[in-house]
Formats: sequence, C-alpha cells, structure tokens
Amino acid sequence: MPELHVSDLVVRFPGLERPALDIPTLQLPAGAHVALTGPSGSGKTTLINILTGLDRAPAGRVIWGDTDIGRLGEGARDRWRAGHVGLVMQEFHLFPGLSALENVLLPQRLATFRLAPGRRAEADRLLARVGIERPGQKVETLSRGQMQRVAVARALVARPPILVADEPTASLDADAGAAVAELLAALAREVGATLIVATHDARLIAGMAQVLRLEAGRLVPAGANPAAPAPTHAAVDPAA
Amino acid sequence: MFRLIAADLVRHRWGALAIALLIALATALGVVVTLEERALRLGSARAAAAFDLVIGAPGSETQLVLSAVFLQPAPLTLLPGSVLAALATDPRVAYAAPVGFGDFSDDRPVIGTTQPLVDGLGGVTEGHSFRRLGDAIMGAAVPRALGDSFHPMHGLAEARGGVHSAITYRIVGRLAPTGTAWDRAILVPIEAVWRTHAPGTHGAEDHGSEGHGSEDHEDANHAAEGHAQAEAEPHDAPDPSEPGPAAGTPARTIAEAHRQREQSDAAGFDAPINPEALTAPDAPGVPAIVVKPRTIADAYRLRQAYRTDHTLAVFPGEVLTRLYGTLGDARQILAFVTLNAQLLVAAAVLLVVLIHVMGRRRQIGALRAFGAPRAVVCAVVWLEAVLVIGAGLAGGFALGFGVARLLARQISMQTGVVLPVGFAAEDGGAFLLLFAIGGLAALLPAVLAYRQSPAAALRA
Ligand SMILES: Nc1ncnc2c1ncn2[C@@H]1O[C@H](COP(=O)(O)OP(=O)(O)O)[C@@H](O)[C@H]1O
Ligand SMILES: [Mg+2]
Repeated sequence: MPELHVSDLVVRFPGLERPALDIPTLQLPAGAHVALTGPSGSGKTTLINILTGLDRAPAGRVIWGDTDIGRLGEGARDRWRAGHVGLVMQEFHLFPGLSALENVLLPQRLATFRLAPGRRAEADRLLARVGIERPGQKVETLSRGQMQRVAVARALVARPPILVADEPTASLDADAGAAVAELLAALAREVGATLIVATHDARLIAGMAQVLRLEAGRLVPAGANPAAPAPTHAAVDPAA
Repeated sequence: MFRLIAADLVRHRWGALAIALLIALATALGVVVTLEERALRLGSARAAAAFDLVIGAPGSETQLVLSAVFLQPAPLTLLPGSVLAALATDPRVAYAAPVGFGDFSDDRPVIGTTQPLVDGLGGVTEGHSFRRLGDAIMGAAVPRALGDSFHPMHGLAEARGGVHSAITYRIVGRLAPTGTAWDRAILVPIEAVWRTHAPGTHGAEDHGSEGHGSEDHEDANHAAEGHAQAEAEPHDAPDPSEPGPAAGTPARTIAEAHRQREQSDAAGFDAPINPEALTAPDAPGVPAIVVKPRTIADAYRLRQAYRTDHTLAVFPGEVLTRLYGTLGDARQILAFVTLNAQLLVAAAVLLVVLIHVMGRRRQIGALRAFGAPRAVVCAVVWLEAVLVIGAGLAGGFALGFGVARLLARQISMQTGVVLPVGFAAEDGGAFLLLFAIGGLAALLPAVLAYRQSPAAALRA
C-alpha cells in the first residue's frame, strides 16, 4: 500500500487572486481513512483531482509510494490511476444502456480488451456485497442509492490500493447516503485501501479515523477525529 | 468496447438514424446522377450499334438520328426514291434499308422497312419474317401474340390522325430483344406503308412530315386533312405484280373511291413481298435510310458521297457523342449542385456530431477517470461516428442504385431503350474515397474526445 507525501503543492487558477490550493506538506500513511472537509469552494475537489492524477500538479510534489505523479505525463497518469485509484464521484457516471455488471466492468474492458481472469467473479461478488441483487439490470432503472452502490463496486473491482470519493453521499437521501458511507469505509477496510473522502456529511466524517479541513485552499488543524473507531496517524502541518 | 458502442448507438438510435439518412440521401443524389448518366450513354450507344450510317434529307442531324434510331416521331422531309435505289446497287453497301415511320398502333410506332434491317437488328426469334405485304413483325417488348392483327393509325392517337381501317396487318413474327426503341415497334414491309399512304399518289404525299410530333397540333390537323384528301382522291386498283398501283377505272365519287380503295387494299396486302419494288425508278420516297457499309473506309466514303445539297449522311455514333457532350455539360451543372448539397449535408452532420460529442464531455471524461485509456475512448468515439457515416454511405449507394434502376425502368418503358444501370469499378473507388473522407471527418470528434481533460469533464 502506498503512502502519500505531498509537498509545496500550489494550485492557481486564472482569475483567482489567492491560490486555490496551497499545501506546504501533507503525509498520509498507507491504509489511512481520511475525511476531507471544508466549506464549498475551499479546494476539496481541486485537491482530489491532483491526488488522483486527474489534474497535474503545476508546482510541488505529489508522491504515492515511490511514484511522483506530478512528473508523469497525461497517458502515464491515466495508466497509474487505472492501476491504483478507485473513484467515486458525486454524480454516478454510469452508462445508460448497459447493465450494472457491464458498468462495473466497463473501465476494465476498455483498458485491457480481454478481461483479466477473476475480474468478472470479483464484480459479481462486489455487486452482491453492495446489495445489488440483479447484476443484469440496466443501470438507468436503478434507484439513486443503488446507482451509487454500483459506482462503489466499479471503483473497487480492480482492487486499487487507493479509494477516493468526492461528495459520494451529497446527491443521495439520508438512508441511501448512510448505506454508501458505511460501504465505503467497510470495503476500504476489507481490502486495506487508503480512503480519502471529500464530504460535508457528518455521518461520513464520523466514520473516518482522521479529518483534514480545508479553508480557502489551506489545511487548518482539525485534529484526530474523537469519534473515530480506529485512529491512524497522519502528520498535518497547517499552513504557516 | 463494442457493447458500449452498441448500447450507445441504440440509445441514440433516432439521432444516429437521422444522420445516417441525411448522409444516405446526399450520397444517393450523387449516385443517381452518375449511374443514370452512364446508363444513358451505354444504353443509347447500344441502341445505335446496328446503325452505322443513316441517310436522310437535309435538316437536323440530331433529329435524323433520334427519328431513325430511337424512332422519335418527327416531321422529316422525304428522300427521293432514287436514293434508296442507288444505294441498293452501290458496291460499297452491304445493305441499305428504309425506315418509314408515320403510322402507329396503340401508340407503338409502325415502321416500314425491309428484310436486311430485320436481320441487322437480330432477326426473328418467333414465327417468321415478312412474306406478304400484310405481314408484321413485332418488337420483343410488344405485348401481342403471333397471329394478332391490327389496323395502323395515321399519326399518334392524340394527334387525331385517321385510322387506315381498311388495312389489316397480321403479326407473323417476333423480333429478338434489342434493348432499343425497336423493341416497342412493329415492323411492316415498306411497300405496305407506301400503299397505305399513297395509292396512286405515292411520292406526292410527304408522310414523313405529317407532324407526328403530338404537340404540333396544327400541323397534325393539317396533315390529317391532307391525308384525308389523299385517300379521297380517285385512284386505281393496285396490281400485285407491280410495286406502284397500275392504271384502272377512275372513281366517280368519293364514296366510290373509298370503296374501291378498301377493296384494293384488302386485295393488295395479300401480295407477296417484291424486293424489286425498292429499286423501281418510280419508288416513293422514305424519310430515312439505314446503310450498312462493307468496310469502315466505305462508311467514310459513303458519308462523303451522300453529304450533298439533297441528302444528309450521318454516323449516329458521332451524333450521339456530340449529344453526350451537351449531356456532359448538364451533368456537370447537376454534379455541381449535387456536390454543394453534399457539402452542406457534410457540414451539418459534422456540426451535429460535434455538438453531440460536446454534450457528452462528462461521459467521455468519466470513462478516462475510471481507468479507460484515452486512445480507447478516442477510438470508441471514432468508431461510433464511422459506423453511422458508413451506414449512411452504404445506404446511399443502395438507395441511389434503386432509384437509378427505377428511373431507368421508367425511361425504358417510355422509350424502349434499355438503360443498363450498374456500378463500375470506379464507383468502388468513389465509395472508398468517400468512406476515407468520412473516416477523416470522424477524427474531429474523436480528437476532441482525446483532448478532453477528465477533471474538467467531471466538473462540468
Ligand atoms: N478550472 C477552474 N478555473 C478557475 N477556477 C476554478 C477552477 N476549478 C476550481 N476553481 C475554483 O477553485 C476553488 C476551489 O474549488 P473546488 O476545489 O471545486 O472547491 P470544493 O470542491 O471544495 O467545493 C473555487 O473557488 C473554484 O471556483
Ligand atoms: Mg467539490
């Protein structure tokens, strides 16, 4: 499992006076469960895009294990992400017309053309695990909660060491949100993945060992989560 | 990957169908123009194959060819009978056959000619050829049976010509299919036509110029009157042994003349064919003569010899080539219009595809975010576009072929000229070229998808 080292990360967007993100240093041990909180516009999505390699860090280093993903080209970052990161977004990004099972396997199918052995069984297992009873059901006929659970299964089917979710419960009702929150934490623990969740959802935050709080692009001390079940250590150096 | 493309196309089937249809229609337009022009060229060239040299009275060369080869009714000046007589004995001539038009039966041209042209057109497949003056041979596409008889009409029905009610031809043979206007015609011995039209006055009645062009009503009426007069004129009973009518008792009244005439016609049409009638010094005129020269050199010499103040000699092939020149100009204009329509369609299609891809930025970006390689995502978009374009192109070629066939059939039914509609090797090239262009155009949305940043896509 890779640990995360971030240093001197600064992200500026044209038209913004202050940097959208300014993180001198951030370290997370492998297998950490971290909630990323902060008001809207504080830079949570920006940070997640950088940590997952969806965007390139313009300055500073983002090192997962021994890979500085800031140094990778676009294609290499795509490949690294495909091999290391499972993503769950606020919107489910499922493809209508395909079944739940097909959606879970779609990125794998597109990446390898021939499915790696065991992937299909893993997909079936994960779908059962997240409570989808009919893997052949077309995704557009699922409820929103079910859709997000299919998305969780898709994020995990390649057994990534890093699981990242951006507001995974924000577009769900309370019950569906709670189910997804529980699943994320439980499944990450099952596979031992590092879990980073950007969220406002108190219930989701409560399930995390550690909380990072962003304000205007800077990390502010939030400390260990007292409600956390199994605290892990993370070194956070708030901006000077 | 293919499941994704299939699911995507099914989901957007109406839009994809509309685009494919648009492409198909634009393609079909071009295909029809190309195929029809080629078919017209081949078909008319084939139709003129049996006609090496055509001789007529001075006038329009094109009209002479259209009338003699394609049997288009038109008022042509007659050639004096001496021309046919001279050609018949010319050593450079394999055969010279008259083409005497002017009569119709149910809108089918009744053409007076002689045995050599029947043979030149391919001969008789059913029944036998002319033996008596009243024998007729029908073209391959005439829906009549052997043994049927008919009364020829003078001029087309709408031109209100008279019925030669007293004259009856009996169909004794069927011509081999020629794929030309002659398939719709009925051939009769030229002598019979002469007798029908000018008993006792042959040569005086210009039956080639009697306004069979149905539009020319005044002329047609005039011709009909002239004809009636000619028929009402006192005349003699024809002598079967002689080509022209012999002397007899002049009729006293019009009714008497008519009665006499009917009797004489009925009697005369039983007479056997007399080839010498053609070369008789007093043989009546004909509107056109088809000449088969012995050699190519003879053909040119004959054309030279018969380009005089009184005669016009043309190679139908040459006249057709000139016509194609004009046709080619028209085709170019048509092709220009077609091309513009196609460019418009192409632009519209590209726009729609681009808008579609832009609208799906999120989906495309998401594919990459979840681990699909960007090249594959790009290929998916490209393949999808190519499938729709390819379906449109293939459909367009099929549709164009169908429409061209339908048009050709319509033209065949009206003119008898069989138009061979078919694809040539160069069309395959055109298809591939279009397909390649389509493939290149499809690259545009694919590249757009390739360059789509996944992060921006997910944010949007
Ligand atoms: N591509 C961009 N161009 C300009 N500004 C951006 C862009 N992306 C994000 N921002 C800005 O950066 C800040 C952080 O945004 P974001 O990370 O989405 O916040 P959060 O996810 O915490 O709500 C916001 O002020 C936002 O407007
Ligand atoms: Mg956000």
